[in-house]
Amino acid sequence: MMKISIPPSWRTRLDRYRLKASKCRDCGRVAYPASSICRFCGSRNIEYIELINEEARLITWTIIYSAMEGFEEKRPLMIGILETINSKARIMAPLTDVLPEELKPGILMEPVLRRISEDNEAGLIHYGISYRPVFKRVGV
Amino acid sequence: MIPEERVGIIGWGSYIPRWRLPLSEIVRTWGFNPKEPEELNVAEKSVAGIDEDAITMGWEAAVNALRRARIDPRKIGAVWFGTESKPYAVKPSATIIAEALGITPETMATDLEFACRAASEALRISIGAVASGLINYALVIGSDTAQANPGDVLEFTASSAATALITGPREESAAYFEASATFVTDTPDFWRRDHSRYPLHGEAFTGEPAYFKHIVGAVKLLMEKTGLKPEDFDYAIFHQPNGTFPLRVARMLGIPKEKVIPGLVTPFIGNSYNSSALIGLSRVLDKAKPGQRILLAPFGSGAGSDAYSIVVTDRITEKQELAPTVDDYIVRKTSIDYALYAKYRRLINRIR
Repeated sequence: MMKISIPPSWRTRLDRYRLKASKCRDCGRVAYPASSICRFCGSRNIEYIELINEEARLITWTIIYSAMEGFEEKRPLMIGILETINSKARIMAPLTDVLPEELKPGILMEPVLRRISEDNEAGLIHYGISYRPVFKRVGV
Repeated sequence: MIPEERVGIIGWGSYIPRWRLPLSEIVRTWGFNPKEPEELNVAEKSVAGIDEDAITMGWEAAVNALRRARIDPRKIGAVWFGTESKPYAVKPSATIIAEALGITPETMATDLEFACRAASEALRISIGAVASGLINYALVIGSDTAQANPGDVLEFTASSAATALITGPREESAAYFEASATFVTDTPDFWRRDHSRYPLHGEAFTGEPAYFKHIVGAVKLLMEKTGLKPEDFDYAIFHQPNGTFPLRVARMLGIPKEKVIPGLVTPFIGNSYNSSALIGLSRVLDKAKPGQRILLAPFGSGAGSDAYSIVVTDRITEKQELAPTVDDYIVRKTSIDYALYAKYRRLINRIR
């Protein structure tokens, strides 16, 4: 059974719940997960932002039929690379509430809190963000 | 001014998972009388996906409530989570939701249990806390992935959904509370023991001495307190364990079914326990007009009921389109078979 260490899971909870990202004040690019050094220009002039309220476009994806231990119940496991609409951040995340045949490049998706994994029946449940197709755009 | 009148609903929102199990699948699997779903007035039930639970659904309903409330989440002073399907027996669901919504750390947060009525008790507590000035806003969530013993008649209706309400000052509200009343007794109609996976119930005993007695008791208390009569209400929303009980209790109270049907969601998605009556309120608020009066009466086994008189304000219309409506979620659906439902709700034993 897989077992994720408590401290790193706890430390990264805002990365997972709120999509905490870093924005470079020099080159303006946004990186997820957040980093104290800009991974595009090397600057340390960083501010932290959250991407939880942003929709994203699906760029590409993979469908995993041979899922690793702990993810068997989620087969077929769909993992996407998305780009957020405003910040243009690239995010790799599970895709949910969608059937494989419904995935198309460019579809608009929104972040939702889901159970990503759990250690075992008695262990911790790890929540995080998955993306699902936007089914109704609202005025936010 | 009575305390309730200082408090209103600033934002509301619901969530229903995409997946539906037609009740004909339960009939086919367990050999029930094919007429059973018709007698319950329920066609299909909503089923949470493999990566969903009461916490994730409650989060999504709360996001919708925040969209309508348009307040900074950090101003919320309490997160009260009503459920009978806690992902952790010990470890609060409310703190996970509060953290994920950006409400922490300066907030109260706890999970409440009173079968299907825990979220309604949370709502009454929130009214008191806001009216007293202790906090400005409270987030009340009712969320359940309702359990039922496979093959039990309860399995026809036990479904998954969530509803969230943000209560706050009346002057900011889309609807305010005019009065409320509670009626509880020790009644063993439905229970789940510690370490038991599924609840047990008293079959016919769940009706007259439990559901009907407590809802009628609470509504009569409310009417005595306020002098209001059934004809004063534009809508009546009751706990919805099936599609027939709410219509029957309305008849007992002299309320025509036309006032019940707009808030009757169970025929489309089943009984979502702590979200059952509240999703009915959510659906009515999606369409209500200023000045209308709503009777809300949730019920929980064990047993108890609360009755609320709620008056819609002019602010309702500006909030209605800010989040998906209950009807948007009702029509967003994909049918699954019993096998997939059994996997999603972890009815299949496997070594994990």
